[in-house]
Amino acid sequence: MKCMIDGREIEVEPGTSIILAAQRLGIRIPHFCWHPDLSVDGNCRMCVVEIEGSSKPQTACSTMVTDGMVVHTDSPQVRKARRATLELLLVNHPIDCPVCDQAGECYLQDQYMEHGLHDARISLDEKVRKRKVVDLGPIVLDAERCVLCSRCIRFEREVTGTNQLGFVGRGDHTEIAAFDNRPISHNYAGNLADVCPVGALLSRDFRFRMRVWFLESTPSVCPGCSTGCNIFIDHRDGEIHRLRPRRNVSVNRSWMCDLGRALYKGAGAPSRLLGARLRSEDDRGMIPVGEALDLLSSRLRDAGEDVAFLASPQATNEDLFAFQSLCDAVSGMLDFRVDDPQDRMAVLEDGVLLRADRNPNTRGCLELGLGRTGVDAIMSACRAGRVKALLLQGPELLRTPAAGIFLEKVPFVAVMAENDEPALARAHLVLPAAAWTENEGTFVNFARRVQRIERAIEPPGESRPRWRLASDLLARLSRPLDATTAWDVFRLASRSTAAFSGLEHVSIGESGLDLDAIKES
Amino acid sequence: MPFPDSALSDSQRSDRPPSSIAGIMHANLPGGVVMIREFRGDLSITVKRETWAAAAVLLRDHLDCDFKLFLDLCAVDRQGRVDRSERFEIVLHLYSVSTKRHIRVTTPLPESDPRLDTLTKVFKGANWFEREAYDLFGIVFRGHPNLKRILTHESFVGHPMRKDYPTARRHAPGKCAERVLDVPQDSQGMVVNLGPSHPSMHGTFRVQLLLDGETIVDAAPDLGYMHRNFEKMAEARTYWQIIPYTDRLNYCSPFMNGHGWALAVEKLLGIKAPPRAEAVRVVLSELSRVMDHIVCIGANVVDLGAITPFFVTFRAREAIYDVLEACCGARLTVSYVRIGGLAQDVPEDFDALCRKAISAAREVIDQADRLLTRNVIFVRRMREVGVLSADDALSYGWTGPCLRGSGVAYDVRKNHPYSGYEQYDFDVPTGAVGDSFDRYLVRMEEMRQSLRIVEQALASLPGGPVIVDDKRVALPPKSAVFENIEALMNHFKLVFEGILPPAGEIYGYTEAANGELGYFVVSDGRKCPWRVKVRPPCFNLYQAYPRLIKGGMIADAIAIIGGLNVIAGELDR
Amino acid sequence: MSSRVFTVNRNVHPGFWPIIIGHWETLKNLFRTLVLRQASTIQYPEQKRDVSRRYRGIHILAARADGTPKCVACFLCATVCPAECIHIEAGERPERTIEKYPVRFEIDLLRCVYCGFCVDACPEEAILMSRENDLVGTSREELIIDRDRLMRRAGLAEHGVGYRPTDHDLRRPVRIEAIEDMKNRYGLNGPRPRR
Repeated sequence: MKCMIDGREIEVEPGTSIILAAQRLGIRIPHFCWHPDLSVDGNCRMCVVEIEGSSKPQTACSTMVTDGMVVHTDSPQVRKARRATLELLLVNHPIDCPVCDQAGECYLQDQYMEHGLHDARISLDEKVRKRKVVDLGPIVLDAERCVLCSRCIRFEREVTGTNQLGFVGRGDHTEIAAFDNRPISHNYAGNLADVCPVGALLSRDFRFRMRVWFLESTPSVCPGCSTGCNIFIDHRDGEIHRLRPRRNVSVNRSWMCDLGRALYKGAGAPSRLLGARLRSEDDRGMIPVGEALDLLSSRLRDAGEDVAFLASPQATNEDLFAFQSLCDAVSGMLDFRVDDPQDRMAVLEDGVLLRADRNPNTRGCLELGLGRTGVDAIMSACRAGRVKALLLQGPELLRTPAAGIFLEKVPFVAVMAENDEPALARAHLVLPAAAWTENEGTFVNFARRVQRIERAIEPPGESRPRWRLASDLLARLSRPLDATTAWDVFRLASRSTAAFSGLEHVSIGESGLDLDAIKES
Repeated sequence: MPFPDSALSDSQRSDRPPSSIAGIMHANLPGGVVMIREFRGDLSITVKRETWAAAAVLLRDHLDCDFKLFLDLCAVDRQGRVDRSERFEIVLHLYSVSTKRHIRVTTPLPESDPRLDTLTKVFKGANWFEREAYDLFGIVFRGHPNLKRILTHESFVGHPMRKDYPTARRHAPGKCAERVLDVPQDSQGMVVNLGPSHPSMHGTFRVQLLLDGETIVDAAPDLGYMHRNFEKMAEARTYWQIIPYTDRLNYCSPFMNGHGWALAVEKLLGIKAPPRAEAVRVVLSELSRVMDHIVCIGANVVDLGAITPFFVTFRAREAIYDVLEACCGARLTVSYVRIGGLAQDVPEDFDALCRKAISAAREVIDQADRLLTRNVIFVRRMREVGVLSADDALSYGWTGPCLRGSGVAYDVRKNHPYSGYEQYDFDVPTGAVGDSFDRYLVRMEEMRQSLRIVEQALASLPGGPVIVDDKRVALPPKSAVFENIEALMNHFKLVFEGILPPAGEIYGYTEAANGELGYFVVSDGRKCPWRVKVRPPCFNLYQAYPRLIKGGMIADAIAIIGGLNVIAGELDR
Repeated sequence: MSSRVFTVNRNVHPGFWPIIIGHWETLKNLFRTLVLRQASTIQYPEQKRDVSRRYRGIHILAARADGTPKCVACFLCATVCPAECIHIEAGERPERTIEKYPVRFEIDLLRCVYCGFCVDACPEEAILMSRENDLVGTSREELIIDRDRLMRRAGLAEHGVGYRPTDHDLRRPVRIEAIEDMKNRYGLNGPRPRR
């Protein structure tokens, strides 16, 4: 289908709506109710465009392109229609901007400046009053602000299948409501706040926390499970204020689950480890990281080949590769499969996005070949006293109930961790690691998609990325890694891994790269 | 509705006849011209770096071009964006007094090799500007006689105006360089620092002198004591937020800096402030000009030993401060302009306060005139001292009363009237010789002319709004913000997002008290400007200072510096 | 009325007579100051200068009738402040029509440049500037003024309100409830004349 939009020609597949065709040309058509990942409703009338041959403006979201169609998205008629639509949408809208969290990402504000700029003709006392600050659990509803676009209703119907929201009332007294004001009870409530174009549905967790125009958005990937939903980390001055989804049609569309959203709290928690800690007879002493690494490297040297390494599927590929190089340098035992995450990796737990494997990079561990010696073999060696030094990339093993028994006879256990927890007491040395928001690198999700994460904030205190801890140890063992940045490590990894071969980190675009696809090409 | 974008007028387009300058450049520099564009009336020519010096010479010497007045030279870090592919761009602004035209010439430089030929042999004023581009951007000018840092401290590391230099980085200055001047080994002379803590070095700047008795053999100025990098701050502030920073440029006549800034941004947006706002701006600018000249003359004569005129004339400044304070609530840090007009309308007693200011000013100007102009001591100190010929003044880039003192009748208010100056009758005084005495006489006369303008503007002050009726630019009336959602949303968007100008670049210029105050603004379409370069009139004035004092005595050096009216806030930014 | 370019007259015939005139001018000024008492200077701090009705002094946070802050912590003042000297933390208010209030509202008075943009930006007539310009403290911490101190300032009768929100057009004066409130409660009508 060939059509002309604003004097520019484009060819699209049959069944493509005008709004999507325009989007491909870089033309943004204003809208409220349309959403690329929900069904089309066509109730807001904001996306109307002029089509030659039609007497009335037509909605671009629900009109499919036909061959030879000529569309004008910015004619005087269209502008007049948009202005009128906006004015009507604002007729009952409360003057809530100062107290509304949506300010800064509000469709009404943005579209008023671009397409409205009209004077008001309604006074405050003429406006219809509706319910405000209705507590729906993780979501706060303000019915006055609602523009009745029905995105939330469609989300509930089509994405979660929970149907917890609907319209009640008629005419300009119509409101969004939850039956009996019951709280939203699924794991995807945060998306309701994202999908609402105005401040009618807002996140309780983020409420009044920070104005969005202060926030900087860093693209990343959620480390909550093996799905690897694409996200944005919104932060200001080294503090993370929220996570929100980043659209990726191959992974998570426009959604992410609430468990993932809550992960922003970890990096700044008071339990964060800021330095290395050595367990001595009398006290748990904090020591400089340099000293800790000296100590650990000397223990690794003295242990000869009686060393074991347990990688963590929480780590990035770069962390894993450096860890593996460290293991190879001292010819130690290597694995990662504490609790066998690989068995759960592809299992979809709730039918939407969340997978049973709560690790972001189990697949990466498999691709890099870190499942070598076998965890059982390592554990028997530990119990038999044949392991003189054990280095853990994460506290997974320490959390298992039988950890105490396994580690009884291991004279030196070191662990890299981000937050303090009681399980860490089982280790002799704790090294402070940078969190996922403080590290750049790559994860591979369950479907063999390699995706990039970027650094949003700096690691606090003396903590540093796991790959750098490994690299510093390698330097002390006179086997330095030829890398100064995470991307250097990636290059080294891609040279020695079949799956990554030939990959430069810049080739991994914003939406990641399917490893299966490159294998074929 | 966004503002219409910059119209690219490509030199290859045949439906548009090339301007004669473009024709001349194409003819004389075959293959050297890369791009010609016109935006908001500014002509901008991009040339290849190999033809940079030749292009400058051509524009200066060709009879139909005659761009003899060197205005400004700066660098822009495009970072390969903002529609250029090379990282850096050097921008040169020139003016032709005879043809009354401004022109901008630019050349791109790659990141890997930011070197360019110097223009110091073409324009005397280019020297310090190239040092500044080197200091702040790391551009190396081949053939420059003294390519050292000028605004930042000698021990500074890095180039702060580059986009990858974080604004929050702290740098503790090391030990100060004692020797600024190049003193020959066999010299018997004494090296003395004049400043920075010297009563005659108004603001803070320093000149290192090589003396033979009382005679100055050589001199080298040292600047940067008040460098706060206004231009870097401007890149992180919206157009509205930059207004208070402009007050801190020439702090003797702060309103004029804001006026110039507002006009520059209005030029970028393609809008005009309403007539009432423009008239009030003229009144306040002219009163500020009187204020500034009072400081110049008063401080100048204090340095010569005459304290009385200083005390007497400053009374008029108080009366003018009363006007400003009644309008906006502050005397110096006025921040009264807004993009598109003024912050609010003038108070009811504006006319009465202005009349008081005018009569106070007239009274003190007459008193100062009686005290000084025929005073033999004063005349002997100022006559034939600090002479700069018209040609040299143009080459250094002198503007304002100093340029007019050297005989060149260039006044922006006459050549390129703005804010309604074309409606007012006023004379332009010029000098005959170009010495300090001429500059003093020109300033005295300019004050009288400014008061004429103020009276005319007050008499014909139009009614109407004081801010443009454009919701993309002006904050909505407060009563509307309290009452309806449209105004509230408009208000919110303008506060947290601000004005979004089209992508493009302009050079906005006004006749400030010291000369042509220019703002070269590069916009990438977002709420903060991509680059702001202030063209500070006294930067060019002070550059000629060593030339003026060499061979003279220290006492003459003092007499000259006061007459140049170098204000550190504007000099160093 | 002329509009020309002219060369200034350098032939001033300088002499010593202007020096005599100078003495006379100085004596006139002396007479004016000592006898007529028309000096430009005042004896500060016993005498203080009247400042204008729009003076941009130290801020005031306005209060509602029940004493709670009018401010709803919308953050516009903190956003617009060129000096980044306002720090706010928002909290929940039980009234559904108000919803928000500032748990923390601090202005670093030493960083502030007294530009008045916060007053321009406020959509709630909650922040105003007074006519007070005495900024004195013995430590930097003391000059970071918090919400409660800012609200108490409204009761400081001697200074009165200076810079306040207004329409651009004076012919439509904005009725600032907060100022009328202050006038009623504290009898604020502007500072008492001092000279």
